[in-house]
Amino acid sequence: VEISMAKILEGIRVFDLTIAAVGPWATKLLGALGADVIKVEAPGGDRLSHMVPPTIKGNSVLYISANHNKRMLELDLKREADRAIALKIIAKSDVFVQNMRPGAVERLGLGYDVVTKANPRMIYVAASAYGRNGPMAGEAGIDPTVQSFCGWCGITGPEHGRGEMFRHLAHLDLTTATTITRAVLQALIARERTGRGQLIEIEMLTAAMALQTTRLAEYFATGEQPAPLGSAASTTAPHQAFACEDRRYLAIGVERDEQWPGFCAALKLTDLISDPRFATNSLRVKHRAELIPILADRFKTKPAAWWAMRLSTERVPNGPLLTFEELRHHPQVLANGHIVEIDTPHWGRMHVDGLPWKFERTPAGPIRAGGKPGEHSAELLAELGIIDDRETGLTK
Amino acid sequence: MSNAGSLDGVRVIDFTQGLCGPFCTMQLGDAGAEVIKVEPPAGDFARRMGPPFVRDESAVFLSLNRNKKSVVLDLESSSGREAAAQLARDADVLVEDFAPAAVEKFGLGYAQLQGANQKLVYCSITPFGEDGPLRDAPGSELVVQAMAEYTASLGRIGDPPVRVGADIASLNTGIFAAQAILAALFHRLRTGEGQRVAVSEFGSLLHLRGIMWSSLSNPDDWYGFHLDHYTKPPDYGYQAKNGPLYFILRRGSSEDWDRLVMELGMEEVLADSRFADYGRAATSIGRYATEVKPIWEKAFENRTREEIIDLIKGIGGDAVPIMDYPSLLAHPQVAALDIVAEIDHHTAGRFKTVRPVARFSETPDTIRLPPPTLGEHTEEILRAAGLYRNSDPKS
Repeated sequence: VEISMAKILEGIRVFDLTIAAVGPWATKLLGALGADVIKVEAPGGDRLSHMVPPTIKGNSVLYISANHNKRMLELDLKREADRAIALKIIAKSDVFVQNMRPGAVERLGLGYDVVTKANPRMIYVAASAYGRNGPMAGEAGIDPTVQSFCGWCGITGPEHGRGEMFRHLAHLDLTTATTITRAVLQALIARERTGRGQLIEIEMLTAAMALQTTRLAEYFATGEQPAPLGSAASTTAPHQAFACEDRRYLAIGVERDEQWPGFCAALKLTDLISDPRFATNSLRVKHRAELIPILADRFKTKPAAWWAMRLSTERVPNGPLLTFEELRHHPQVLANGHIVEIDTPHWGRMHVDGLPWKFERTPAGPIRAGGKPGEHSAELLAELGIIDDRETGLTK
Repeated sequence: MSNAGSLDGVRVIDFTQGLCGPFCTMQLGDAGAEVIKVEPPAGDFARRMGPPFVRDESAVFLSLNRNKKSVVLDLESSSGREAAAQLARDADVLVEDFAPAAVEKFGLGYAQLQGANQKLVYCSITPFGEDGPLRDAPGSELVVQAMAEYTASLGRIGDPPVRVGADIASLNTGIFAAQAILAALFHRLRTGEGQRVAVSEFGSLLHLRGIMWSSLSNPDDWYGFHLDHYTKPPDYGYQAKNGPLYFILRRGSSEDWDRLVMELGMEEVLADSRFADYGRAATSIGRYATEVKPIWEKAFENRTREEIIDLIKGIGGDAVPIMDYPSLLAHPQVAALDIVAEIDHHTAGRFKTVRPVARFSETPDTIRLPPPTLGEHTEEILRAAGLYRNSDPKS
């Protein structure tokens, strides 16, 4: 394949007025695709994300991690001179992303109406937790509050036990973020055809419910709350983790009927292949209570490595429960760059998330660490031909 | 102003099954693309996921396949492969999740199609990525979650593992796949060049834990939820008299804080340094939140969660009930945002689902077609392509 030197979003400028994780991660991905992302922060930066522990050399890892592939500009938008600079940059930008509480950005004088008047080609993203309408309108939300609200704790937990939260408190933030990135790309395509920008509204609550569309479908079909099932899947079976002789767990997944005979062969339980109770996926789901104890007893008779070998030979999905220490040296992770190590300007060498996609003609990346708030202010304004006529200098 | 979708006129040939690929192509269909779902004679295996079934249609399948047309082709037969190749020649986008060996056998590899369709955007979805020792290994929702250590953030050390209840390996990857396709379509619009793109479920889930990989690199202290979620006990929120809630205090004033403490009869915490700074470190992701939770729950035990939520919101905190599906779907916020859409299906009748997430002011996403029955559009699509043979509609 001929590699093109141009980046996919070459020439696209993003005015990034985002905070915490939802907005920043969305624009970070646009940056990885080649957009020129200008992260605009009030002096000292966005308080929330700078507060979140852990830190590396005093800076929040959340802030460092969510702001790769950007340049950092400080603007005090409450001052008229800074707002004038913002409007000059907006006139030269293609995408505007903000995830403040509804109303907050309007108070800064950068609501959709103002921005679209300054630049009718602008793609303007307003992301929030609960949207502009309804009894929760205007309320702030962070990952754990949206997790609580959106129903997903009720389907997660030990088998028929108490529903619990996912303690890596970023998943719904980043799900919303990636939905924003997708929507911006969609609007860029539309703009090539119509010549016009538009407003995109995205709520964390809706993104979180869309992520549960398959599980909500069960509820819509039955009117009954799906129970937590430990490691087991609800609509496929067997699809769960089993304890083996060495007390290690092995995750297995029979999602397709054609995997069932191989699964039985790997376990040397070939009688089950023709057992009418287990002949199809829906029969196995219905007779889960009879099937699982047979399998659980069997897995306990040999170590996980034995079953993994036999299941892999039969092409049945299986895998161990890995940890970061294993993952960062894992040949699969290294070969595909799923986790990579980069040098950063302030924080030393650091493991970071790899790029989530591979483009054969227009490679994305490389991943670059961002910087500290305001770090690129002077460089950016000079490049944009904007004279900084504010009373105090930008850097101090 | 027209109400055309962003992808009007774009044709997608979709060879994927299950959850991930179909969630990707449903987003393209919502955006206005014509999505042709090519299924084997037995159908997408998601048609057999369940119970629950709605009059023989899998509820899971229904939730992932609106705005698509179903064409049955038997790729084991040469006529089926020829028809597939011709549909691919006329397509703007092709999405596949075949095992690497199968795709060449079916004549649907990128190298096999590119010559006849230089502008094609071709997307491959694999479980673990296209290089490395697991490049050919099959995956499943749980297997990918477990290998990407998602189970490490749930349950209790020593107890059986717990997965994320939502199908995140599949659905989050479906979002990345849609991004890759849209980015490649944008590039094509500007340059005329097609290309091949790829995503994997393992790579997607590892990407979404990126904050943690950096946290583990060289943190100043082993503290913060990106690190201590490994060893924390299960988090059920805060139990009140009639159910759990979750809250966070991150603003506030001395009067507000005094009022909350008095109201809840928790005066003893005023002398407790863990509650300093108006309780900021004593809730949610605060440093002392886990250890002081029993103090809060003691104060909450005789109050309804609605009372507590009002109290906390009254002093500028954020508080929500922890809800299950019945209470979520009865909540007026879900209605106010119109999150639940209803679709009429030929055989399943009217069913509910989650609407397209993003709202576009100029080129809105729409729901135009119900999920197809198996082979519902075989004749229509093959006839239009000059491929239809009356004697064997499933050719």
